[in-house]
Amino acid sequence: MIQWLNDPGNWTASGGILDQLWSHLQYALFALVVATALALPVGLLIGHAGRGRWLVTVANAVRALPVVGLLILLYVMLAPHIHGRGDTVYLLPTEIVLILLAIPPILASTVAGVENVDPAVRDAAAGMGMRGGQVVRRVELPNALPLVFSGVRSATLQVIATATVAAYLGLGGLGRFVYDGQASQNFAERDAGALLVAMLAVAADLVLALAQRYTVSRGVSGRFSRRTLVGDPVATADAPPSTHTA
Amino acid sequence: MPSPVSPHVSPGVAPRVLPPVAPLAQDSSPLGMFGYFNDHRDEVLNWLWYHTWLSAVPVVAGLLIALPLGWVARRYRWTYPPLVTAAGLLYTIPSIALFVAMPDILGTQILDPINVAVALTVYSVALLVRVVADGLGAVPDDVAQAATAMGLTRRQRLLKVELPLAVPVIAAGVRVAVVANVSLVAVAGTIGVPNLGQLFTTGFQLSVGSPYYPPITLGIVLCVLLALALDLLVVGGTWLATPWRRAVSGS
Amino acid sequence: MKKALTSALVAVCATALAACGSSGSSGSNGLSASGGSSASGGGTTIASKLVLGGSPEFKTRTDGIPGLERVYGVTFGSYKTLDAGGPLTINALKNGQIDAGDIFTTDPSIPANGFVVLQDPKNLYAAQNVLPLINKAKASPGVTSTLKAVSDKLDTNTLAQLDVHVITDKQDPAAVAEGWLAAEGLNKTGTAAQGVSVKIGSANFQESVLLAEIYAKALQAQGASVTTRLNIGSRETYVPGLKDGSIDLIPEYSGALLVYFDPKATAVSSADVYAALQKAVPAPLTVLGQSSAQDKDAIVVTKATADKYHLVTIADLANNG
Repeated sequence: MIQWLNDPGNWTASGGILDQLWSHLQYALFALVVATALALPVGLLIGHAGRGRWLVTVANAVRALPVVGLLILLYVMLAPHIHGRGDTVYLLPTEIVLILLAIPPILASTVAGVENVDPAVRDAAAGMGMRGGQVVRRVELPNALPLVFSGVRSATLQVIATATVAAYLGLGGLGRFVYDGQASQNFAERDAGALLVAMLAVAADLVLALAQRYTVSRGVSGRFSRRTLVGDPVATADAPPSTHTA
Repeated sequence: MPSPVSPHVSPGVAPRVLPPVAPLAQDSSPLGMFGYFNDHRDEVLNWLWYHTWLSAVPVVAGLLIALPLGWVARRYRWTYPPLVTAAGLLYTIPSIALFVAMPDILGTQILDPINVAVALTVYSVALLVRVVADGLGAVPDDVAQAATAMGLTRRQRLLKVELPLAVPVIAAGVRVAVVANVSLVAVAGTIGVPNLGQLFTTGFQLSVGSPYYPPITLGIVLCVLLALALDLLVVGGTWLATPWRRAVSGS
Repeated sequence: MKKALTSALVAVCATALAACGSSGSSGSNGLSASGGSSASGGGTTIASKLVLGGSPEFKTRTDGIPGLERVYGVTFGSYKTLDAGGPLTINALKNGQIDAGDIFTTDPSIPANGFVVLQDPKNLYAAQNVLPLINKAKASPGVTSTLKAVSDKLDTNTLAQLDVHVITDKQDPAAVAEGWLAAEGLNKTGTAAQGVSVKIGSANFQESVLLAEIYAKALQAQGASVTTRLNIGSRETYVPGLKDGSIDLIPEYSGALLVYFDPKATAVSSADVYAALQKAVPAPLTVLGQSSAQDKDAIVVTKATADKYHLVTIADLANNG
């Protein structure tokens, strides 16, 4: 496996590691951006209004959908409708599955983040004459940011690991090495592919950790240091209030 | 059209053999799954049974491993970062790769169901170590101090106060692990492990030209129902294990 | 309504994905067109304008892309990694994601879609007779004779017909197997395989599942105790499974199996392949008597592509287009 990774030809060839790394990143990034764009505003609204929490329940129920089944269902559904060259017929099912996978952790942790904002802080903001939208943007979002980040990070890990299945539908990405290696008995290639996926996930998590450090207000991160320890966003979101000790 | 090297049947040739075969439900729409289930009842129930075991047992095993690890991470604070990081790393390994590499790691037979069970246990441990550690840590300081003041030893405090109070947090993690497992088990179906994932493979293979939905939708519906059932089981278990919460919230 | 929903989805997402999908590094692997030693000298060959699709292993297999180049001087514009003659390859050929596919000759979708099988005059593709690959310990005389009776009755036309029942008509492979055995009188109960317990596997495509069911029902009728492990996956998964005893028996194809065990094998005819295979199969495995039924790899194009470029044989792909 080390030998396979050390061969520069495996990195730079067309369809080599660099190509597939880039594809993998693109599949994941697209899904994460779309999922965040959908889940973050909705989560802020639910947390702010204190209504519509059933949406979180629905999103969590989506987790029960089997990824392979959904991927195959979407491909089979779309295949007869998409003609001509290109990868759209494989990309569409893959991205839909990845987006569906990324939404629940981001939504749940955003809602939990807003709900955990100290009511006194919210009252103070209202007392200063802030309107609803301003409260969301200037008070609730900054305060919820650590939890939002933990949701996005958990979604990122899942999406990067799961983007491996893109290769099952004939797409690229690092999953290509896993599937091709298995199919052609090149087990070094297969295991190297898996390792690269894990490393990409770790690298992405580090980048997000760094981003978190620079975007979360020091007042918040200091105040919420106990909270950020309770890392799993789902555990946090689903956990009963009695365990919230902030 | 048939060329010398294309031995397939040309449309005009009368079939030499036409075996009498019981016609199956011809409905290829998603709702055809009911007919499909009727025609393949034994096989599907068998897969459902295997799927249930493969979803549940690794979570139980994973919890049993994660409890002491999580306790260590809490008791000796310096072990928290390496343990939680290692667990996080394990969770990033793509499941399909872990499934196919398992026989090499364990020295087991290639089609041994234990491969998938062990791989899923690894994921469960990865998810639960952090949850257990955080759950034990979420016990309020005043409660811990009260317990000490009442004369409880460290061990008594863990078993009688900290662990019970951590049950809701740990249970939330177990719910996530169980539901995630149902989906991961189906991935193993695509490499021949008998479970509901085989319905997806079958439906996929039969969807040449036009979609053949019944096995695919049947598989999805059964997976979701199984996930909900196992989830309810965990919720019910938590309810039974935390009588004090009922006393408070019921009033 | 479902249709409208689908097309709306397609429209919205296709636009959004355009940026993502335009990256050249997806499944397609650019095969340098410079290697295309055209049969008729300079210029661009027909193949260089076309996209070929097939299994991951076709890319490196002796009779895959390297074989096309070596035997016919054919180099496709690019290769799209899909599956081994499965739904991805067939749908992609039908819907124009690829122009040519590596598909198996008994596949009912070939006549159903009017696909054209390109002839193989230089015999790049070896004979692919259906035969049982079995663990020697299980190949008792009774098991051997039972499976021989099955192989004797099976021919290419029959296999293609049975495939139609399973793939096109969506009939249960087990029921189709039972029906055919009954029609051939192979389901009469006997005691030839009594006392033997056999674990039968199949690859992850429907014809293999069907053949495994045929073996299973025939052996059961002769008193064997049979369990099945169907849809295991590709040869790379199930052959190690045969060696380590996870399964005992699986339906196989002579030519592909020979190349698996001996990548340098050159045998082409049914008899030569079978003789070479018997030598190449490692212990503790062995192959039993082969049937006359064949299911070969073939380069398949749509009728439109064949007409446009006047394609009849694989060699025609090397012509200037």
